[in-house]
Amino acid sequence: MDELVERELTVPNEIEEVWRSLSEPEWLGEDASIELREAGEVRAGERSGFVEEAEAPRRLVFWWSAPGEEATRVELDLDEADAGTHIRVTESRPLAILDGRDLAIELGVRGGGAGPTALAGGMLAGASR
Amino acid sequence: MPAGTPPAGTPRPGGTRADATDAVFAALSDGTRRSLYANLGERGEATATDLARDLPVTRQAVQKHLGTLASAGLVATRRAGREVLYRPTPAPMSEALAWMAEVGAQWDDRLAALERQLARRAPHQPIG
Repeated sequence: MDELVERELTVPNEIEEVWRSLSEPEWLGEDASIELREAGEVRAGERSGFVEEAEAPRRLVFWWSAPGEEATRVELDLDEADAGTHIRVTESRPLAILDGRDLAIELGVRGGGAGPTALAGGMLAGASR
Repeated sequence: MPAGTPPAGTPRPGGTRADATDAVFAALSDGTRRSLYANLGERGEATATDLARDLPVTRQAVQKHLGTLASAGLVATRRAGREVLYRPTPAPMSEALAWMAEVGAQWDDRLAALERQLARRAPHQPIG
C-alpha cells in the first residue's frame, strides 16, 4: 500500500473555472506556478516538479519534491457536482511506482541533487531497517 | 533488546515498508486501540493494568489490543519483575504517520486557499 493522503472539497464554481484556477496557484503560495500540460513545470515555494498528466478540465497529476525530500505524486480530480465542482486531491509516496517508472527518471525527479537512484535507494534503506 | 520474551512488535526481517504500513493502519483502525496508544503516549510507559483503569474495557482486552499494537511495531515491551511495561515506539511507521499528518494539514490549507480564491472569482454564484 502506498502512503497516501486524500482530501476533498466541493466548490460552487464551474469545472472549467476551477481548472483555470489551478494554473493561477495563489493557493499554492505566492510565487507558485503550474503549467497545465504534460511535462509542464511545477514550482511552489522550495518545491519543484513536473506535470505527469493534464487532462483538462478533469485531471491533473504532478510530481514534486522539496530539496532533500522524497518526491511525491499529487493527483487532482475534478468532477461536476450538483451545484458546482467536486475536487479530490491525493498525495502519495509511491515506492513501487517510483521504482519502476521510467517517466519519473526521464523527466528528472530530483531531490536536492539526489538522482532517482539515490532517491529510490533512500526509500529502500528506510524499508529494510 | 529488552530481557524476557521478545516483544511481538519485533519487525520481521522479510517485512516490507508496505506490510508495515498495513499493520499500522489495521492497528489504528480501532477506536479503543487509538485511545490506548494515545494514553500510552501520555504516560510514556505503563502496564496493561494501568491502562485498563482509564478505559471501559477489561485488562484482558487491553492486553489483546496491546498485542496488536506491538505487532504493528507501535509499542514495545519491557519486563520489570513480574510486570510487563509497555511504551510507544517512534519506529518504524510513525514516520509515515507523521508524513501523512503533515501533508494532510498542508492540503487542508491549500484547499482552503483554493476555495477562497474561487469564491473571489464567483462571488454571486446562484445556488440550486
